[in-house]
Amino acid sequence: MFFHIVLERNMQLHPRHFGPHLRDKLVSKLIKDVEGTCSGRHGFVVAITGVEDIGKGLIREGTGYVTFPVKYQCVVFRPFKGEILEAVVTMVNKMGFFAEAGPVQIFVSNHLIPDDMEFQSGDVPNYTTSDGSVKIQKESEVRLKIIGTRVDATEIFCIGTIKDDFLGVISDPGAAV
Amino acid sequence: MASIEPFNRLVRLAARAFYDDISMKGDNQPKTSRGDNRGMAVVVLDALTRRQWVREEDLAKALKLHSKQLRRILRFFEEEKLVTRDHRKESAKGAKAHNVAAAAVASDGPPVTKEGEEKIKMHTHSYCCLDYAQICDVVRYRIHRMKKKLKDELDSRNTIQHYICPSCNKRYSAFDALQLVSYTDEYFHCETCNGELVAESDKLASEEMGDGDDNVRKRRREKLKDMQQRIEEQLKPLVAQLERVKNLPAPEFGSLQTWERANIGAFAHGDPSVADSSRNSQGQYGTPMPYMGETKVEVEMLGDGVKEEGTESGKNGSELKVLPPWMIKDGMNLTKEQRGETSKASKLDEKSEAKDDKKQDSKDDQIIQEEYIKAYYEALRKKQEEEEAKRRMQQEGETIVSDSQSERQVGKKYKREDEDEGNATEQYKLADLNAEAQESGDDEDDYVWEEGSVE
Ligand SMILES: [Zn+2]
Repeated sequence: MFFHIVLERNMQLHPRHFGPHLRDKLVSKLIKDVEGTCSGRHGFVVAITGVEDIGKGLIREGTGYVTFPVKYQCVVFRPFKGEILEAVVTMVNKMGFFAEAGPVQIFVSNHLIPDDMEFQSGDVPNYTTSDGSVKIQKESEVRLKIIGTRVDATEIFCIGTIKDDFLGVISDPGAAV
Repeated sequence: MASIEPFNRLVRLAARAFYDDISMKGDNQPKTSRGDNRGMAVVVLDALTRRQWVREEDLAKALKLHSKQLRRILRFFEEEKLVTRDHRKESAKGAKAHNVAAAAVASDGPPVTKEGEEKIKMHTHSYCCLDYAQICDVVRYRIHRMKKKLKDELDSRNTIQHYICPSCNKRYSAFDALQLVSYTDEYFHCETCNGELVAESDKLASEEMGDGDDNVRKRRREKLKDMQQRIEEQLKPLVAQLERVKNLPAPEFGSLQTWERANIGAFAHGDPSVADSSRNSQGQYGTPMPYMGETKVEVEMLGDGVKEEGTESGKNGSELKVLPPWMIKDGMNLTKEQRGETSKASKLDEKSEAKDDKKQDSKDDQIIQEEYIKAYYEALRKKQEEEEAKRRMQQEGETIVSDSQSERQVGKKYKREDEDEGNATEQYKLADLNAEAQESGDDEDDYVWEEGSVE
């Protein structure tokens, strides 16, 4: 799920940036530092949409670096248990398949793949129905439901299922070409 | 108007299926066998199927329950979304108003108690009523959840897969999948000994017995399957009833206030039949039905009537019993029109009228048309006579034409003739020819009919 939230961060800036463009420098550094990172609490920071407030800088003794407390608005992506996501398959093996929804990695184990889909090994390992009408392979797009998330300080990993109504392949690369 | 009986059956079935062993015990009540009031919930639900909005004190009295006990049960059902409740402060007068409404509705219900309401003090009274529409949804959802839960467990759906290393017995979960992937083959490999991991089946088994003993797993599975089967079996009547009720409009009593207003209104006429008709005219809203028996009959009669009109069969004997013969005449004409036999004629009639509008001055045309219409009605009358004869054969002995009725018809005819004279324009006459031609035919019919009935 996406959220638009306000976060705070202490930014350290090298003294060489102190000048008329200090603020711009601070913002561009913030974007570079923060976008794409993941915090277990808030999820992945997708984009910074604005800077709300830059506090008074504090000079660090000895180094000359200055620490600014910065309040910024950003869009975060945090997957939840029970959420439905659309994801792209990245790897298929006998144990199930991996998929990505933006920055989130999701594993769907073979017992959460519908029973009528069988694993086929080969150059392009895949799960296929007996009549061959539905195929999950690398690059397939699937709709899945998250049944578990593991949130570390810097990483979120999800377990998904496609064994439920309206889940499964939404487009497969073979058919699209 | 919705028939309430299928819904009541649904409630009774659901009560027995789900609330059979609900025990309503106070927290401080000793849990002895004497205090065991299991089954009370079913009794209360059953009682509610025979009532509409009812004051909870009255219900308690009728069920010989302590009002606190009843309130506990009702609160439970309110949470279960089966019962709607309403509370309000009212004087004795207000309470009486409810009694009036209740009396208009209930008669197989409990005798409405009126004692102790002479105080003018305001009291908070609670009322309750079944919420049929919601009950259908709740029961359906409950069954769905029961089945889904078992099915999910059987399919081990929504469970996190665990893996175990056969050589060093290390356990992993699907969350470790990323680290376990091997790029050389299709399997997961142990992080410590690189052994091929095997999936550990059935979360339930491992939950119950730690690491899965095959027998336990099997037994658990069988238990689940058995449970599933029993659900299918035992809930069959309930599911069937749900299916039956699915497309019927659920009885709707409205809020306590609207219900009271509706029923007091009906009662004010003092005549139950008037009350009925007023309720009918209220359509959907006035659903409150008195006691179930009568309602059912009413609905069935309505259904029959519709059927008769629809099936185009002339054998509406039951209708003939009820209606006076002159009504039957009209009714017959009506049905014929509905069958499309006379519709052509009436259209033609209109057309000729329209023509007349344009050429009112030319009398010749009109005379021709008059002739034409006369001829037409003559033919029509013959046809009707034939129909009549057929019908009479079927209805013989059932129809009795009283003199007063035939008189009334004559009166009717005269009246029309009066009208005719009053507005003696050609156009009207034309339009009236219709009536005249028909009625002359009817007259004949009547005479024959009377004789027939005398025979
Ligand atoms: Zn191992």
